[in-house]
Amino acid sequence: MVDRSALGHEFPPYRLHVERGKIAEFARSILSEEQIYYSTEGARAAGFEDVPVPPTFSAVESHWNRNRQDVLKLDLRRVLAGGCEWEYLKPVVAGEVLTVRSRIADIHTKMSKRGPMTVVVRETRFDNEAGDTAFIARSTVLEMPPRDQGNDAA
Amino acid sequence: MTMAATNEQPRLAGRVLEEGRVGPLTRTHFVRYAGAGGDFNPIHHDDEFARSAGYPSVFGHGMLTAGLLSDFVVQRFGLHNLRRFSVRYVGQVWPGDVLVFSGHSIAAAEGEDPRRAAYELKVERIGPDGQRNTVLTGGATVAGEDA
Repeated sequence: MVDRSALGHEFPPYRLHVERGKIAEFARSILSEEQIYYSTEGARAAGFEDVPVPPTFSAVESHWNRNRQDVLKLDLRRVLAGGCEWEYLKPVVAGEVLTVRSRIADIHTKMSKRGPMTVVVRETRFDNEAGDTAFIARSTVLEMPPRDQGNDAA
Repeated sequence: MTMAATNEQPRLAGRVLEEGRVGPLTRTHFVRYAGAGGDFNPIHHDDEFARSAGYPSVFGHGMLTAGLLSDFVVQRFGLHNLRRFSVRYVGQVWPGDVLVFSGHSIAAAEGEDPRRAAYELKVERIGPDGQRNTVLTGGATVAGEDA
């Protein structure tokens, strides 16, 4: 069950080292054949200083963020990803160290086919060493109603 | 929204992107994405756990579909032109599915930078049984001459 007192919670900021190996691994996992992700030469030919990160690379922050408190107390059996939105402000390339700041931006209830579900929005900002926000990710997770209290099958 | 509908609406800029496809996807794709991204929710790799949650089998991470769609956009416009990307999950991706990516441009809203173009995007799955349905809708804002 979602703990609503988590609204507005700010997680402790932490550092994320942007590494070539992780960029290549992530790019392969999304079946990309773009050379910008695999070779510095390919990246430079496209105008990047080094290998850039793919658009949904923010996903890897879970590798770096090991001590996040479980403030939401979600039931994984009932949790679905709702969606995500990214805003790109500055390029991010291998070798950079980003500071990641994440907060619970919204918690609300919405009606689903199976009954009331809880919608949680987490906003995460990735700042570069110059102090500029390079990109922002806003992800939505849904906690569906418990099956045994549900009405018709969805 | 279907492609046919977009052609009937004059407010839409209506540039249709050439379709892209990947798959069939397997459990190995899901596991590789779990490792790369770091999301080890067992619902994506443990069939027993997935069944206990009421699903017929494991299913792909929404973020995997989002990542595959992002590459469809990057292939067409170049990473350096991407300004905004968004996804909304509307259905699950199952082992054996082929994914079909499509998109079309829409008119810039008032107050938006006219040098940028907005696209509506869609990902459909085609199951091993031929069943086809939408699994993700999304959007991208791109800059540059090809936008």
